[in-house]
Amino acid sequence: MRLILRNLGFYLVAFWASITLNFLLPRFMPGDPVSRMFAQSQGAMQPEQIAQMSKLFGLDDRPLWEQYVTYVKSVFTGDLGISISRFPTPVTEVIGAQIGWTLLLGTTALIIAALLGNLLGIVAASRRGGLLDSAFPPLLIFVGSFPYFWLAMGALYLFGVSLGWFPLRHAYDAGLTPGLNAEFLANAGTHLVLPALTIVAVTVGSWMLGMRNSMIATAAEDYITMAEAKGLSPSRIMFRYAARNALLPSVTNIGMGLGFVVGGALLTEVVFAYPGIGFQLLAAVQRLDYPLMQGIFLTITAAVLLANFLIDIVYVRLDPRVRVR
Amino acid sequence: MAPSRIPSRRPRPVLTVLAATAAAAALLLSACTGGSGASGAGDTSGDQLLTIPREDLATFTRNFNPLSPQAAPMTKEAVYEPLVVHSMADAKDTPWLATKWEQAKDGKSLTFTLRDGVKWSDGQAFTADDVVYTFELRKKVLGGLDYLGTVTAGDPHTVTFSLTKPFSPGFFEISNQPIMPKHVWSTIDDPAKFTNADPVGTGPYTKVEKFQTQAYELRKNPNYWQPEKQKIAGIRLLAFSGNDSANLAFTNGEVDWTQSFIPDIEKTFVAKDKKHNHYWFPPAGAMINWQLNTTKAPFDDPAVRKALSLAVDRDQIAKVAMNGYAQPADCTGLAHTYDKWRDPQLAAACTWTKLDPAAAAAALDAAGYRDSGGKRKLKDGKDFRLDISVGSASSDWISAANIIKQDLAKVGITATVKTPDWAAVVSSYEQGTFDTGIVWSNNGATPYEYFRGVMSKALLKPVGEKAGENYHRFGDPKADELIDAFAAATDEQKQREQINGLQKLYDADAPVVPLFTGPEFGAYTDARFTGWPSQDNPYATLGNRNTSTVLVLTSLTPVKG
Repeated sequence: MRLILRNLGFYLVAFWASITLNFLLPRFMPGDPVSRMFAQSQGAMQPEQIAQMSKLFGLDDRPLWEQYVTYVKSVFTGDLGISISRFPTPVTEVIGAQIGWTLLLGTTALIIAALLGNLLGIVAASRRGGLLDSAFPPLLIFVGSFPYFWLAMGALYLFGVSLGWFPLRHAYDAGLTPGLNAEFLANAGTHLVLPALTIVAVTVGSWMLGMRNSMIATAAEDYITMAEAKGLSPSRIMFRYAARNALLPSVTNIGMGLGFVVGGALLTEVVFAYPGIGFQLLAAVQRLDYPLMQGIFLTITAAVLLANFLIDIVYVRLDPRVRVR
Repeated sequence: MAPSRIPSRRPRPVLTVLAATAAAAALLLSACTGGSGASGAGDTSGDQLLTIPREDLATFTRNFNPLSPQAAPMTKEAVYEPLVVHSMADAKDTPWLATKWEQAKDGKSLTFTLRDGVKWSDGQAFTADDVVYTFELRKKVLGGLDYLGTVTAGDPHTVTFSLTKPFSPGFFEISNQPIMPKHVWSTIDDPAKFTNADPVGTGPYTKVEKFQTQAYELRKNPNYWQPEKQKIAGIRLLAFSGNDSANLAFTNGEVDWTQSFIPDIEKTFVAKDKKHNHYWFPPAGAMINWQLNTTKAPFDDPAVRKALSLAVDRDQIAKVAMNGYAQPADCTGLAHTYDKWRDPQLAAACTWTKLDPAAAAAALDAAGYRDSGGKRKLKDGKDFRLDISVGSASSDWISAANIIKQDLAKVGITATVKTPDWAAVVSSYEQGTFDTGIVWSNNGATPYEYFRGVMSKALLKPVGEKAGENYHRFGDPKADELIDAFAAATDEQKQREQINGLQKLYDADAPVVPLFTGPEFGAYTDARFTGWPSQDNPYATLGNRNTSTVLVLTSLTPVKG
């Protein structure tokens, strides 16, 4: 318990540091939202409109520390302000509309990749030198080292355009209303396949390698020899004895991964026109939408810290050595 | 906010460049297979929806507030309507909510006669009060319109705008303002922050249906004032996170009308279905200039600016950098949109906008920038070097800058192309700290805005102070006289005299180096809808987000059977 409390203190400091950075970093970028909008319109906006936009958005020109005080307050009240690039929609609404899809895509891909990768790793380690062990790691690393953009485009054209197995874009068909009915769920499911599988394809290799190596290290431990000497079945030794301990680094990675899921998968969203936070963040940065940027960074920070905190707790449960310290 | 009458040249999204190779390979793949999996394709029941992609919006937010610059697509094109529709394609004004208009002899007032029998989509009558209220609201929320005094309703069908000074360009801003219903907006506490989820407008398609994050539909306004022109059942908008995914849907025949940039359009789009797939890129965009910071030597010398201009191969830029979609500029500086204002004699006698490296070298020699061993020297003996700034997102403009760089090398000048993010580039433009750069220009209904933006002293800002136009910081008092006289003139003959004067002055001063008129991209398939604007029938551009868009929406006919 004391350990958890001590960690909690650390998390509070980390949280403060990151929300402060979230506040400062965007403000170091050159320009302001209105001149960015003006620059992006490239002749479509008249110079007179610059003043009008500033008036409409009610841009904040108070001293930085005053803005900071308001910002910190808003972080705790949850009132993140109004997005500039989506004016006048509140930031919470913009994030709320997208985060569901980001979580769906990110966690689906993460869970599949982690389960599959770890399983392959365990099996590969248990049959060292076998076909799986010698063929899969190089193959998966080969696939994983493709530029993701290229791989995703290739998958889209092969399975979407040429073979027509999967839809080409969006989270569900246009004209469909989201709801908990079989038709919608099936539709959203087929739309999820390509985006999720391309992410799995590039990430599964590192899961497998990590697990395999950690398994091999664990298998050299004395207690494994002991178990073998006792005459336990190989599969029992592999899964109950070795894998349980070898899984610890993977658990950390899953926790980190879960936290970063919230940041969205920018390239996936671009290739498959899938809704999500990643593209929204890019747009916010390009348009210097301070409130939206802060809102998204805050969400990501909070998610990463929360995921880490949960993993810390799980670790206490999984690894007795942590408790002893 | 935007009387967004102006067709724009959009920057290509950042990732386009990154994806270019992948896309090229993939397009080859898809070219062999054709349009399988196309959901909307081939629907010719007569009730098919006109499908339009937005390659610049990955998701939609339900905001139909016409005062917001981020209003959902079609807010100002299909839901709300202006008094007069101005088309950049043929420079014509089409009477819309107003049937006629008149400028007072002294130029200090404008009177619009409103159309009879126009109703809001909720059935209430459209009256002069709505117009008066719209302008009150706009001034309150957005400010601007400094030349506008009072707006008064004479009777339910007449509105008079009195101006504080004779100002003819005001006509376009006033007549293009989308008109909003007083009975709805006067009940809203904070109109600036109202998202207007179910808009009430006078436009042809006002009913929002099936609004989702990445798609929505607009259906017919049951009370439209020209029901015979509502031939299409509705519009469907689709969101895309970039040109590539939008172009894929388009080349696959799943959307009808796009204005996103399509590389090598003849091969990637037209060749797939020669009968139905068409494009038209009229040079209706703004003049793209190469601006030289005139606060820095040697760019303060018009002889140097002209010499640099002589070295630039505009045909090469238009052909190679702009895929042949652009029109090279001449020494009047006027974009092709303003052809009717161009002084034909002056245009025929242009010298410094025609490629002539020998003349460029001679002019630089004469101006005192001598060549020594292949490198041209400044007057203080240093090498003649310059930076050309372009935003990293605009790959076409970057190639233009690289062509300029090669051209300058031929006359002994070393140029460096700098491509940081547009934000950094624009910030250096605004502060006046840049060397030279590729830049857009003001693109109004008349050349007034263009000339004001490149040569007026009135809006000139010193280096270090933020400028909204005239980044190159050039001012000529003679230009201001002509510009003011143009704004004050009420008849076209007088206006023409001023514009002719401005063109002569531009030719003498060379305030910037004009490069080319940007194209207004637009492509469509007529498999499901016919009646598109084209070279032969240029009633509008093929832009689906400017004021002439409503002309297209009310001209299209669905293909049946």
